[in-house]
Order: sequence, then C-alpha cells, then structure tokens
Amino acid sequence: MKPVMTFALMTLRNLLRRRTIWGISIVILIALFGIGQIPGFGVSNEGRFILDFGLFGLEIGALLLAIGLASNIYPRDREQKTVMPIIAVPLSRSQYLMGRFVGAAIVEAAAMLVGCIGLMIILIMNGHAVPADMLPATGLLLVEGWFLLAVVFFFSFWTSPPLNAPLTTLLFIVSQMSVSGFIKLFPQAPGLMRTLRLFLPHMDVFHIKDPIAHGMDIPGLYFFLAALYGLAYMAFMLSVALAVFRSRDLK
Amino acid sequence: MEKFPLQVNELEKSFRKKLGLSSFKAVDSISFQLSHGEILGFLGPNGAGKTTTIKCILGLLKPSNGKVTLWGLHPASLQVRKRIGYVPENPDYDDTFTPLEFMQMFSSMRRLDMSRERMLAILDRVGLAKWENVRIRSFSKGMRQRVSLALALQSEPELLIMDEPTVGLDPAARKEFRDIILAERQRGASVFFSSHLLSEVETICDRAVILSKGKKVVEGRLDDLMRTEDHYRIIYRVSDDEPEELEVEAAGLQKSIDDLRGQGYSIISVNPLYRSLEEVFLSATGGGGI
Repeated sequence: MKPVMTFALMTLRNLLRRRTIWGISIVILIALFGIGQIPGFGVSNEGRFILDFGLFGLEIGALLLAIGLASNIYPRDREQKTVMPIIAVPLSRSQYLMGRFVGAAIVEAAAMLVGCIGLMIILIMNGHAVPADMLPATGLLLVEGWFLLAVVFFFSFWTSPPLNAPLTTLLFIVSQMSVSGFIKLFPQAPGLMRTLRLFLPHMDVFHIKDPIAHGMDIPGLYFFLAALYGLAYMAFMLSVALAVFRSRDLK
Repeated sequence: MEKFPLQVNELEKSFRKKLGLSSFKAVDSISFQLSHGEILGFLGPNGAGKTTTIKCILGLLKPSNGKVTLWGLHPASLQVRKRIGYVPENPDYDDTFTPLEFMQMFSSMRRLDMSRERMLAILDRVGLAKWENVRIRSFSKGMRQRVSLALALQSEPELLIMDEPTVGLDPAARKEFRDIILAERQRGASVFFSSHLLSEVETICDRAVILSKGKKVVEGRLDDLMRTEDHYRIIYRVSDDEPEELEVEAAGLQKSIDDLRGQGYSIISVNPLYRSLEEVFLSATGGGGI
C-alpha cells in the first residue's frame, strides 16, 4: 500500500505543480459565480433553481474533471518515457495505475467538495435552506466522477486523448438512458439493445437533483446502495483497465 | 547454486507493422548470460535491437518467443525489482520535481528506509550535491542522467542495467560514470552496459555481445574478441640495441622466427596481434554505423 500512496502523492503534487488544479478552481469559481446570478433574474422558486443548476453543474463538472485530470496522464507518461523507469523498477503496473488513479481521485474529491461548499454558501447568502441530502448527493456525484475517472484511464491505455474525451462523454450519455430510450436508438434489434443496456452502467442512479430540489426525502439506504453500485462498477472498470495495461507492450 | 543474474534464452521479439498485416523481428533468437560481478557490454548499430532487448529484460515488453530470467525469476517479479537498478537512455523524469524529492519518493516506493543524509550522499556521489533542491526542469541532459544514476544506485542494486548511460555527457562526466560503474562492480554488482561508445566498453567491460539486425553476431571476452588469430607481433633485439618488432601472418610465423634467429637476433616475445574493439565491431556488423 505504501508504494501506491507514495505514487498517488507524487501524482497529486504533479497535478498541483502543473497548475492543473488552479485551472479547475477557476472553472469552479466561474460556474459558482454564474449560479450566484440566478436570483438577479427574479425567477420564482429561485432556491430550487439554484439547487437544480448547481447539482447539474457538479454532475457535468464530475465528467469534465475526470477527462481533464486523467485523459492525458498515461499518454504523457508514455510519450515522455517517464513511465519506463517507474514501471521498470520500483512499481508494478497495478501499483502505477492505482497510484495515478488515487492521486487524480483526491483532486476530483477536493474540487467537488469546493463546488458543493460554494453552492451551499450561495444558497445561504440568498436566504435559502441547505437541504440535508445535499452533501450525500454530492457524494454520489463524486462516486460517479471516480467511476468516470476509471473509464478515462481504461480508454487512455488504448486510445489517444482526443478520442478519449468523446468516448467517455458518449458512455456518460448512454449510461443515463432508460431501456426504452436505448431501444429507440436501434429499434430493429430490441433484444440486442436490451442486453447491451444491461451491461452498460446505470449512471442515472447517481442523479438525484430533482428530488432534492423538490424537497423530497431520500432514504439513507438508497445513498448506500447507489454508492456501493458505483464503487463496484469503478473497481470493475479499473480491473479491466489494468488487464488492458498489463497486456500492452511499453515500446 | 546461485542462478545467473541475467539469462537470455532464444529471445525473440516481433512488432506488427502499421496496418498490422505483417510484422518484423526486432530481436531474433538471441541468447547470452551475465555472470555475477561481471560487466557485460551490449553493442550494436542503431536499430540492432539493443533497447528492445533491454525492455524485455525489464519486463516492459513481452517476448514473442524465448525467455528472460533474472536470478532464475521472471523480470516483472517483485524479488527481481528489488535487486536491480536501471539507468534508461535519455531519462525524462517528471520535471516538476527536484532530485531529492525523487530520491525520497523512489525510496518510499521501493520500501527502503533511507535517511536524508544517505540520499544526499548518493546525490553527492553522482555530482548533484548542490542541486538537490532544484527542479530538474532546468537540468541539462547530462544532469538528468546523473539523477537517473542516483536513483539506480539508491537500492545498492545487485544488477545495474544501463542503456546508453553516458550519452550527452562531457568527457569528465563520462570518466566519473565509469569510475562509479567500476566501484559498483567492486562492491559485487553485475552490470549490463549498452553503449555506442566503443572506447568506453573497451575500458570497463569484461565481455561483450554484439548485435546486428536483431541477431547476435559476436559474443566473448574482450581479450578473446580483440585478439587476432591470424596475425602475430614478434619483438626481437639485435645485440644491445632497442627492441624492434615485426608483424607477421600466422602461416609464416615459424619461418619468420627461424629467419630472425638465423640472423643472430634474440626473440623477446611473440604475441597475437590485437585489434581495436571498433575493428571487431565493424567486421562483425559488416561495417554498420555505430
């Protein structure tokens, strides 16, 4: 575990020093500033709007963060050959993947937390109550972000960064579709589409902004099971990514 | 009995060409071994398959055929990783870190319990004493090589694998590297040394393997490789004069000795003629560029 954590720390420091995190912070601040302008439009139920837009922003943020943080890590390591001396001597490929993943996951968690706190401040400043489920809801979006990170790592082992982003976004979109929506994509083969949908992740389970914005109660068990589902899928995706990485020659 | 630090048996590595319809062999059935405490020079023209072989030895590439073992184990095994140090060709470490940070992180990843003083001593040994806290972004190629050497030496490896370690170094730095390699051998390490600089191989290596077009064309002790079988040098003296020498072909050696003796000369020594490693290399590779 120690080598993985050391390498994760190295990844974290690298992301900090490359100013990646500052770029992310600026984007978060701009997004929060935009959401903070909602009361100025004089809409009714502005608290609901702020929550709705805010959680939607966090959801998209989770996707963009995953792509921005991870799509270039391995390709850059390979291109600059920094991966060679690391994998050749101190680390195994699984430790390399886990170290890089954990480092990026910490940055993603910090960014999501900052976004969530910012959203809470905007709500309070405009005289609205902060829903009790907001933090767990952000937690679910973070789990989704980590899952997407694993997907980005998986793609990064066999595609280029420009292809990685659309592939991950495509998976993000289709993973939110219902079975009927999926069949509509290719109605000629409903059985095939139904089977395909079964194997693709159901990311819609992480998106609970509507019930929260409407003040509905969400059972704690739901959060637990949804998080478990996301983490299990993330572990599966990392295993597949590792299998791909292990099978590849480092030329 | 302890197994060889490095044993390569019938190693073959093919790569697919761009469209994947055909492949080419970068390394073609090569075998050799490295003994304990030995410095083995690994030579060949560009594209001969040296770096591909090294990557197979390090477990970065999977052999298409054949086998590589280090102390009888698979190259990727943890026991092997703990025992080797690797100096890559043109190392390009993450340039946002300093040498000392790298030493700290690598020692932690290797699970070594190293004091800061010990790390500084290693950096001092490779000539980076005053640079330990400077980000390697500003380092020259030669200084990056020194970082690489420091990281390789960190674990006091039993086997040092060096891929063109002195490329880009000035003559004084090359001498420092050579001295360190010899000191490591003195400590008991075995060294696998790939280089383009034949004079360097000639100076420090015990044996050499020469590759050409993916195949092993020559292997042997440097003394044996450089000694010619067909030419000899006779050193003789006429009364009290300075000794003189005569180079003759093997076929006419005995006749030449008899003739000299017949003329009253005393024979001081008869030795096989030595070629330079460059001559050995050029004849083995058919004059291929270094």
